[in-house]
Amino acid sequence: MEDRIGFYVCHCGSNIAGKVRVEEVRDYIAGEPGVAVARDNLFMCSDPGQEMIETDIREQGLNRVVVASCSPRMHERTFRAACQRAGLNPYEAFHMVCIREHCSWVTEDENEATKKAIDLCRAGIHRVPLQYPLDAKVVPVNPNVLVVGGGIAGMQAALDVASAGFKATVVERQPTIGGHMLQYDKTFPTLDCASCIGTPKMVSVGQNPNIELLTYSEVEAVDGYVGNFRVRVRKKARYVNTDSCTGCGECAEVCPVTRPNEWDEGLKERKAVYRSFPQAVPITFAIEKKDRAPCVLACPAGINVQGYVQLIGQGRYEDAVRLIMERLPLPGVLGRVCPHPCEAQCRRAEVDQPVSICRLKRAAADRVDLQSLPKPEIEERDERVAVVGSGPAGLSAAYYLRLKGYRVTLFEALPLLGGMLRAGIPDYRLPPEVLDREIDYILGLGVEARTETRLGLDFTLSDLKDQGFDAIFLGTGAHLGMKLRIPGEDELDGVVDAVDFLREVNLGRGGAPGRRAVVIGGGNVAVDAARTALRMGCEEVRIVYRRTREEMPAYEEEIEEALAEGIEIHYLTAPVRIQGKDGRVTGFDCIRTELGEPDASGRRRPVPVEGSEFTISCDAVIPAVGQRPDVSWVREEDALPLTRWSTFEVHPDTLQTGLDGVFAAGDAVTGPATVVEAVAAGRRAADALHAYLQGGDLSSWELTPAVPEQTGEWAEIPEGTAPEARAEDELLPVEGRAASFGEVSLGLVEAEARREALRCLNCGVCSECMACVEACKVGAIDHSARDEIVDLDVGSIILATGFNLIDPTPMTRFGYGKYPNVFTSLEFERLTNATGPTSGEILVRDAEGRFDRPPESVAILHCIGSRDVNYHEYCSRVCCMYALKYAHLIKDRVGEQTAVYNFYIDMRCFGKGYEEFMNRVQGEGVKLVRGKAALVTDKAEDPEEEGRLIVIAEDTILGKMMRVPVDMVLLCTAMEPREDALDVARMFGLSLGRDGFFLEEHPKLEPVSTASAGVFVAGACQGPKDIPDTVAQAKGAAGEAISLSAFGKVEVSPMTSFIDPDLCSGCQTCRELCAYSAIEFDARRGVSVVNEAKCKGCGSCAAHCPSGAAKVSHFTDRQVFAEIEGLMA
Amino acid sequence: MSEQEPIIVAFVCNWCTFTAADLAGTSRQKYPPNVRLIRMMCSGMVDPKYVLKAFFEGADGVLIGGCHPGDCHYINGNYKARRRVALTKEVLAQYGLEEDRLWLRWIGASEGNVFAETIREMTEKVKALGPTELKKELVA
Repeated sequence: MEDRIGFYVCHCGSNIAGKVRVEEVRDYIAGEPGVAVARDNLFMCSDPGQEMIETDIREQGLNRVVVASCSPRMHERTFRAACQRAGLNPYEAFHMVCIREHCSWVTEDENEATKKAIDLCRAGIHRVPLQYPLDAKVVPVNPNVLVVGGGIAGMQAALDVASAGFKATVVERQPTIGGHMLQYDKTFPTLDCASCIGTPKMVSVGQNPNIELLTYSEVEAVDGYVGNFRVRVRKKARYVNTDSCTGCGECAEVCPVTRPNEWDEGLKERKAVYRSFPQAVPITFAIEKKDRAPCVLACPAGINVQGYVQLIGQGRYEDAVRLIMERLPLPGVLGRVCPHPCEAQCRRAEVDQPVSICRLKRAAADRVDLQSLPKPEIEERDERVAVVGSGPAGLSAAYYLRLKGYRVTLFEALPLLGGMLRAGIPDYRLPPEVLDREIDYILGLGVEARTETRLGLDFTLSDLKDQGFDAIFLGTGAHLGMKLRIPGEDELDGVVDAVDFLREVNLGRGGAPGRRAVVIGGGNVAVDAARTALRMGCEEVRIVYRRTREEMPAYEEEIEEALAEGIEIHYLTAPVRIQGKDGRVTGFDCIRTELGEPDASGRRRPVPVEGSEFTISCDAVIPAVGQRPDVSWVREEDALPLTRWSTFEVHPDTLQTGLDGVFAAGDAVTGPATVVEAVAAGRRAADALHAYLQGGDLSSWELTPAVPEQTGEWAEIPEGTAPEARAEDELLPVEGRAASFGEVSLGLVEAEARREALRCLNCGVCSECMACVEACKVGAIDHSARDEIVDLDVGSIILATGFNLIDPTPMTRFGYGKYPNVFTSLEFERLTNATGPTSGEILVRDAEGRFDRPPESVAILHCIGSRDVNYHEYCSRVCCMYALKYAHLIKDRVGEQTAVYNFYIDMRCFGKGYEEFMNRVQGEGVKLVRGKAALVTDKAEDPEEEGRLIVIAEDTILGKMMRVPVDMVLLCTAMEPREDALDVARMFGLSLGRDGFFLEEHPKLEPVSTASAGVFVAGACQGPKDIPDTVAQAKGAAGEAISLSAFGKVEVSPMTSFIDPDLCSGCQTCRELCAYSAIEFDARRGVSVVNEAKCKGCGSCAAHCPSGAAKVSHFTDRQVFAEIEGLMA
Repeated sequence: MSEQEPIIVAFVCNWCTFTAADLAGTSRQKYPPNVRLIRMMCSGMVDPKYVLKAFFEGADGVLIGGCHPGDCHYINGNYKARRRVALTKEVLAQYGLEEDRLWLRWIGASEGNVFAETIREMTEKVKALGPTELKKELVA
């Protein structure tokens, strides 16, 4: 068919014609091939303009139309519709050329503008004949609407959608809806109470059957297109069941963890289980949790360290001990001898020093009589378990097995229970009464004990089976000392191994090893042996160690105490031989060493220095160079596999040995290690034994249930946390200390312990002390709750995500964060609010930060971060008005004698009743000073300024500088985009404006639409605005969403890709490129095929297709080529 | 504009640079008249042969305008554009075209001033380069 093109060029009043000679363009194009009609018009978009096109189509038989006017983003739809009305397919017939935004408005010279306009129009004339018909797809619209953000904008939009009969889902990040408006007290200019007008909205949203509320939730992903979005929402675990929580607040009463309340801008505190404010919707509480605290993660036994520390801080020692005993049955023991790896990870060290966790554990244990604890309810079972060895591993296994109901018998070779705790650790470190108390408690649960019964001597493993034990736990420890392997060691009297020496003394059977003793080794056992020797009456005790003090594995405090007691330590000294006479030790030959290259353990290897030998005169030598398990009892027929270090070989998860039903843990498996590791392993073994006895398949047995992923996200350390000294134990005086076995450390006094516990930074926020679980009468608290994922299908989305206030801290000249009585606007709102930190009284802070007295004078500083090219160029639009509101409230509540100064650049009181409000406030005696404040300082220049804040500003009307002393400074901080506005914009396919707020589709005509069809914006997320404007825009956005829902269908662009099967080579490159997985492969035909429903028409495939088979409708190569040719012709 | 004035053909993404050009117009930012816009739905749609076509037709410079990294309306079309431009520059050299004649710029919808500034800079640059070898042949 012959091309009959109609060309229409618009004057747009003088917008185009003022620069482009429109008639010249018209006449030029009239001469182009195929152009049947060329006309100009003052306003092509007007009715007569459109009418002209339609008439020409009908009467002149036009089949193509090119309009040269404004941007197609403005009126493409208008003219397409005109063509359609006249019977043409708009995608085939119409093309629009922009000669206004891209030409007349941006070009200085008339000739150049006209030439450019002609080029652009010619391109359109060349392109339009190559267009072909496309049919807009009509898709159904899901009537449900998603509203993101539960502030006043989101609430209003949701209510409007709901009242139109459609379902709205509100997703709010905070645990309550309400938003900023509900933080305010009064609203300008009417001074309506924000709560009075806001809370009814909240309640309506909460109760409306058409509104689904997802609080404490965030949108994670958005998929789909207008009318058919799929939205993925993460409902964060609240740990409080919203259905059963009654909002009574008992949980918060008992919660030991205190946090600054965000709702009160940190001016007030809340608990880890909290509700933002009493009128919250939903009214239910939520628990704030971060990652497990580092101390908890560091503890080998996984004790809830943060939890018990917090309980100690509250003086709730019994609760603390019960919490500890969930993972560790020996709190008093570990409170004394634990190497506390938790303290090494404590984040308090970033401020000053780690919290004294180990001492706190002891402090709690010492204050609780275990016998007074309620006996746990034990459900009896028939199975019997033999626990061999009553050290920390055995006691722990016995305890947890007994709690599970098993009939447990402890077998101990020595006359007393406790293993190494009894035989290895001297009484001055671990008094026997402490150990007895805790063992008695375990036995009191119904554990049978048989002492002086040695495995291998008195019974065998098979005997145990014969006696009817269903399973066996071996916790036999490592009680054999290692040899020095030097001459004299084996034959001389006066050489006694440290382990043997300590055991005999601890069991009350030993005596002094001699008068002058030398202990060899650098570990805790060496130091223990030395200090014990001293207490047994040795006159002189020395420790000989091959490396330096830095490498010494003994605990620092042990070394300190030993030195204080008069023990001499020879560092860099290695043993050579033991001298003797008449079979008795007389001296100890050593050699000096120096440190060489690191060995396999990473420590530097001691190298003897030649010729440096010397002799220490002594009559006792106590080697303490390591221990190993005694496995002499293991017979070949036992078939119990051992490692080459004589330890039991066990499965790393189940701790089962090579023998069925025989488990092992502790030093007997690991070699000499710490008590806490043994306790942890004993508990683990108990779990595995339980699984074994219940017939579980241990091969698939998981050691621990999957723990939530560790994020390493912990509570921030509050700025300005003051360093505080770490509480240290009081020690027995050194004088006379070494003469007795009395406990050296006296522990923490109660006040010290509680103060120390409060140094804890609550890294995990919720400490999981479980106090709330006990307090909640309806059982609404569930600490095991997990985040939920909710998938929503909606047809449109309203974004009402609100704003942030700028943090004025970096603007140091205003003194925020430095002077306690400089406040941000939102902080002042909370000060005036009845639910705020001062219950609505306007007060200033004393030196300690307590709100104690009303101000005599107040300065309100406008434009803090707004209208400032260093921060935000824009005006925040609300500050002038709320500054006036503050001035009024101060006059009203503190008294009219209070001096109030407003330092402003311009007063912008543009709304309904706003100017009148300003006049009223001025009439109340509020002083308005034109001039932005330059500085807030406390440097007084005269007595009147003493102790006050001085605001320095230029009064630009008087043209002079002024100093105004005041008691309180309020900063009108700028509204700014949310910190994650860019991420949200990307997720929903929006653009951001230069100011960082969401960009509307058109600043005047499409104020709530966005670049993504079906996604609308409302409120301050689109730009600073006050409540009336926000509500109006929310209603507008709701209107857009409702019209989509009500109409039920929507046209979507037909400009999608297609693949010519005749040209497609089946290489499938396009499939990998497609971001929407919209291309499938037809294996039968060997070609790729576009799924139109999924295709968005981006053209990635077309641009890449090596054979030119993939094309985008309306952007084919021929069409683009023709446009280029037209441009350049 | 004299006959010697260079022409820049700009393939611009509908969602960002085209909108930025609209904004430059609305805010009456003046820039040299040498640029001619062709609207594309995405910078990732710009086939290298469009670029070559423009040069063969006599363009002195080609600008591709896309969304900032991460902001693509179609998830990642701009990244594809970036890779294609890198490859196209290799090809340009075969035709004696300086690689500075092909610009890829990220210009967001709100950056009308950036658009205007880019056109100013590019016009200057292309003027300094003079006519392309291809154009000289076409004229001769």
